[in-house]
Amino acid sequence: MIGDSGVGKSSLLLSFTSDTFEDLSPTIGVDFKVKLVTLGGKKLKLAIWDTAGQERFRTLTSSYYRGAQGVILVYDVTRRDTFTNLADVWAKEIDLYSTNQDCIKMLVGNKVDKESERVVTKKEGIDFAREYGCLFLECSAKTRVNVEQCFEELVLKILDTPSLVAEGSAGGKKNIFKQKPPQTDAASASGCC
Amino acid sequence: MASSSNMGNETLEEEDEEEVEPEGFDDFTLASSWERFISEIEAVCRLWLADGPKNLLEKGALCLGPQKNLYKVKSELKYGVKMYCLDYYFEISRDGKPSEWNGDLHDMQLSFGVKDFLVIAPLTASGVVLDAPESTKLLSATAIALSNCGSTWPAFVPVHDPSRKAFIGIQNMGTVLTRRFEADHIGSQVPVKLMHLEGLYELFISKFAFSSMDLSTSSLNVYFTMKLTYRTPPDDDDIGMQGIDAEMTESEENHESNIRSKIQWDDDCPWTEWYSAEDPVKGFELSSAWSNKMIKSSSDMAEIENTSSFEAETWLLCPFLFPNLDRGNTVGFASQLRLLVNALHISFEAQFMEDFISVEKHASDASDAVPPPTVLDRVLKDLFHQGAQMSDYSKSEHKNSRTIKGAPLESLFSQFCLHSLWFGTCNIRAVAMLWIEFVREVRWCWEELQPLPKMLKYGSIDLSTCLIHQKLQMLAVCIEKQRQSEDSEPIFQDSVEGEDDFGGNEEGSQLGGSPTHFGMSAGKSDAKRDSQSGLKGPDSPDQIRRGSAGVAGSMMLINSYQRMHAPYTQDPPLMTEDMHEERLRAVEALGNAINFSAQLERDILSSDMSAFKAANPDAVFEDFIRWHSPGDWESSETDKSAGSGLNQLDGLGNDEWPPKGRLSNRMSEKGNSWWQLWNDAPVLPASEQKSLLDPNREGEKILHYLETLRPDQLLEQMVCTAFRASADTLNQTSFGDLKQMTAKIGQLYLTITSSLKPLRGNYLPNKEETIADLRRLCVVFENVEKLLLLAASLHRKLSHAPRLSKAIFTDYFNFYLPKMGTSSVGGDNRKEFDMKQRVAGNEREAIMNMFPPPTANQSWRKVLSMGNLFNGHEPVVREIIFSRRDGASGNHYSTNNPINSSKEIETHRMYICGTSNDLRVTLSVTSSD
Repeated sequence: MIGDSGVGKSSLLLSFTSDTFEDLSPTIGVDFKVKLVTLGGKKLKLAIWDTAGQERFRTLTSSYYRGAQGVILVYDVTRRDTFTNLADVWAKEIDLYSTNQDCIKMLVGNKVDKESERVVTKKEGIDFAREYGCLFLECSAKTRVNVEQCFEELVLKILDTPSLVAEGSAGGKKNIFKQKPPQTDAASASGCC
Repeated sequence: MASSSNMGNETLEEEDEEEVEPEGFDDFTLASSWERFISEIEAVCRLWLADGPKNLLEKGALCLGPQKNLYKVKSELKYGVKMYCLDYYFEISRDGKPSEWNGDLHDMQLSFGVKDFLVIAPLTASGVVLDAPESTKLLSATAIALSNCGSTWPAFVPVHDPSRKAFIGIQNMGTVLTRRFEADHIGSQVPVKLMHLEGLYELFISKFAFSSMDLSTSSLNVYFTMKLTYRTPPDDDDIGMQGIDAEMTESEENHESNIRSKIQWDDDCPWTEWYSAEDPVKGFELSSAWSNKMIKSSSDMAEIENTSSFEAETWLLCPFLFPNLDRGNTVGFASQLRLLVNALHISFEAQFMEDFISVEKHASDASDAVPPPTVLDRVLKDLFHQGAQMSDYSKSEHKNSRTIKGAPLESLFSQFCLHSLWFGTCNIRAVAMLWIEFVREVRWCWEELQPLPKMLKYGSIDLSTCLIHQKLQMLAVCIEKQRQSEDSEPIFQDSVEGEDDFGGNEEGSQLGGSPTHFGMSAGKSDAKRDSQSGLKGPDSPDQIRRGSAGVAGSMMLINSYQRMHAPYTQDPPLMTEDMHEERLRAVEALGNAINFSAQLERDILSSDMSAFKAANPDAVFEDFIRWHSPGDWESSETDKSAGSGLNQLDGLGNDEWPPKGRLSNRMSEKGNSWWQLWNDAPVLPASEQKSLLDPNREGEKILHYLETLRPDQLLEQMVCTAFRASADTLNQTSFGDLKQMTAKIGQLYLTITSSLKPLRGNYLPNKEETIADLRRLCVVFENVEKLLLLAASLHRKLSHAPRLSKAIFTDYFNFYLPKMGTSSVGGDNRKEFDMKQRVAGNEREAIMNMFPPPTANQSWRKVLSMGNLFNGHEPVVREIIFSRRDGASGNHYSTNNPINSSKEIETHRMYICGTSNDLRVTLSVTSSD
C-alpha cells in the first residue's frame, strides 16, 4: 500500500481489517497487518504492508516491494498533488523495486465521502489506471464504501495470475505467511500496501 | 509379358490363400523364382501406387533433405539366396518447376533429371551389384514389374563399387518411348580433353551424332546449363594482410596450422576474455549459375570457359559451417556451467567448503584436479587488483538480467563466479580452494580498510541480487564508513557554525544573495568549511547550531525569526535480504499486533528529530513536521501547495514571519507517537549520534557469514550468478539486426529465471529434480550460445551484405530449431546444413571481396587446369547439364502419343559434375525402341 503521506492508507487498512475508522497518527516507516479472508472457497491469509508516505522513509520502504504480489496505490481525491505524485513518484518506485514482473497494481482513490471537496474526477482515475495497467476503485475509509471490494478484487486478480500463485506457495519468503495449520486449500497472498 | 504378370498375381494370391488354407494347391512349375521375384516387386509397387504420396507419408515415409519435399519408403525382397532392398523416392507437392541449382534436389534427381524414382539394390554392406548379369537381370525384373502395373517410375540399379556411383536405369515413358540411364565416374586421371568445356560438349554430341540421322552438328540445338562452385580460400601462413583486409583475414582464419600466429576471429568478442571459440563459419561456397544457354558449336564453349562469373545469372551463397556446430560438446559457457552444476550437486555432501580440500578425502582423482598456485595467484590478482571501483553496474545488462537472482556483471562476486567456471575443471575442490582464498582476500580488505574492488562504494542494496553480493555491497559500505570515521573524526567533533544565527539585516541580504551557497546538495566539504568558520561567538549553549546542511528553502522557524536549516541526517541503515527476513519473522511472531511499528523506523525518525533539533536550536515540533512531513502542515496560505518534502528548495516568497498554519488533525493529537518521539529526542547532530548502522559489527557479521557459508548455499548462488553473468556477457555480442537471435536471448533469460527459482530458498525439496532441470538448462544455454556464435561470425563476415547474413542466419535458425534440446542424443539422422541463399546484384561486390586474388605463392602451387576462374580461383566443382530437345514433329509415333505430342521431349541429357581430376558423367537417352 503506497501513496503520499496523509491520503489515508493506514485508515483504509484499519477499515478493512477491523471495520473501524479513526484519525490515525501518521505511520512511522511501515505498518503491518494480517487478515484472514475466505475468497473463492479458499482460505487466505493476507499480509499487508502499510508504508509511510514521507519521503524520508522511501528508501526503507523500497524493500517491501520485493516479492509483493499486489500493490495498492492510494491517492486522495481531494488533493490533486497526491494524484499527480502517483505518476511522478510512486509508479516509478514500483518499476524500480518490484521484483515480481506480474505483480498486480491497483489504483484507489480515497476519501470519496468528501464529495464536495473532490478535485480529481473519476474519469482521471480511470485514465490513469488504463495507462498504467491497474485495477481501479474509488472508496472511502470513513464510510467503508468499496473498502472490502478493493482488497477482494486485488486478491482475486492475484489468484487468477498463475505465476503469482505458484510463487506464493513455493517461494522461500512467502512461506513465512503460510497458514500455520497446513490446510489443503491454503494459499497465501502478500501485498505491499 | 501379360501372361507372366497374371501368373505372378496368381502366385501371390495363392500364397495369400496358403495362409488361410494350408492344404491349398501350389503350382510352382508355372512360376520360376525369377517370375515370382517380379511379381513380388510388382505387388510392392502396386501397393505404393495405390497408396499415393499422402498415405505413404502417414505410413511413416522417411523424410530426406532439409526442404522436406523428398520422402522415401522401402521394402525388402528375397530372390534366391539374396535379399534386395527396393527404395521408392517421391516428392510431395512441389511448387512449380524445380530449379536445378537450388540444392534441394536429390543427387539422383539432379543427375538423371527425374522426379520420383525407384532404386533396387542388394542388401549387402556395400549395397552394390557387382556383376553385369546380375544388374541387368535386376533392372529388367523391375522394369517388367513396373510396366505390368502401368507405372512410369524410373528404376535404377547401382553397379560396380559404391565409390564409382555408377548406375544403370530405365524408365518406361508411355506406350512407345523408353528412357535409358547410365552413370559412371572417373576418380583420377581425367583425360585433358574432358577437363574443358569444349571436350565435354563434344562428348555429349558424340552420344547422339551416332544414332541421329542428321550428322551435321551445326544444326543441333544443345541447351547448356552450368553451375560453378567456388570456396573461399583458406588463409595461408604467408598472407600478410593488414588494415582493411584484416576483417577478411579473420574470417578465413580457420586452419589449425596457423591458429597460433594469427589473431583469433573472435578477438574482440565479449566471450574472449574467458574462452576462444572455434569459428562456426569456416568459409563460404559461392555458386554461380548459367541456365539454358543455346550452344551451336564447340567454339561457343571455349568462350564460356573464359566468361567471368560476374555474368552468371544467379549467385548462390552457402556457408561452410564448422562440422560440429549442431552436435558434440564444444567448450563454452554452457560446458562450464554444466561443470558448475555438477559441483552444486556434490556440494550437498559437506558442511563447510574446507571439507572439500582436505587431501585425504579426495585423493588424487583426475576430475578433482586443482590448478597450480600460479593460476590461483593470477586469478586473485585479477579479482582484487585489476580495475578501479565501479560507478554503475547496469550499463551492459539485458533488461531481464535483474530477474535472475545473481550478482550484476562486473561486480566482485560475479567476476569470482566467472573465474570459477574456468578455474581448473570447475570441480568442487577447485571452487572450494578459490573461495577460501577469495574470502581471505575480502577479510584482508576489511581489516586493512581497503576499498573492496569491483563494488560500489555507496548506494543501496539491491535486493534482487544474490545474498552474497548484497553482503559484499554492505561490506563495501561498512569499509567506506569506517574509513570516513577514521579520517574525519577530528573535523566533525567541533562542527559548529554561527553565521546565520543573528538574523536581522544580514539575513535579508543573504536570502537573495546566494541560495545555492548552502543547500541539500552540499556534501561533506561544506561540513568541513562549516567547521573551519569555527566558533564564531555563540552566546548561549542552546544557540549553537550543529550539523546543518544548509537552509531549507526559505522556511522560517515559527518561534524565532530564523531560517530553518536542514540537518545532516544519517543514511538509512542498509539491510540485506536476510535482515529483512529476520524482521519479517519478528513481525510474524508478534502476529497481528495492533500497534506494530518497527523499532528501526522509530530509530530513524528519532535520529532525524535529534539532528533537526541540533541544526535548529529554537525549533519546535511544528517546524520539524513542516520540514519532514509537509503534508501534515496545513498552511493558511492557500496558494502554497504542500511541499515536496526534504528537497524543498523554493527560494521564492514565504518569508513572512511568523508562518501561519496549523498541524493536521492527525498530527496534532497529543500523545501520538510522533509527539512522544519528539519529546524524547535529544539534541544531537547526526555526526554525534549513535550510528544507525554499526559498521564494525555489521562488517564482522558479514565476514562470519562468508567464512561459514554452507557449500550448497554458496554453490546455489554461484550457479545463479554464473548463469546471469554468462548470459550478460554473451548478450554484449554484436550480431546485427537478427530478430530471432534477440528473441532467443530474451527467452533464454526467462528460462534461466524460472529454472533458477528453486535455488532461492534455503532448502531444496527435490534436489535431484532440480539438478536435472539445471542440466537441461545448460543444454538450452548451449544452443543459444552456438547460435549466437554463428550470428556473430556471420555478422562480421557479411557486414557489407547485412541482408544476406540475416537470410543465412534465418535459414540456419529454422534448420537448427527443431534440433534444440536434442543435442545430447546425437543420432545419425543428422544432416549437414546446406541451404543456399541467392545473392542480390548489389551484394556481389561484398561477396567478391571474400575471394581476394591469390598471391603468387598460392597460384604457383595449384595447377590451374579447368578455366572459369573467379578472381583467380578455380571452382571446386563444376556441374554442367547438356540437353537436346526434339520437337514432336518428324516423330512418326507422336500421333499415337498424346502425352508428348504437344511438347518437346528431352531426347538426350547429360549431367557432368567434377573437377580436373574427378569426373562424373550421367546420361539419359530417350528413344522409341
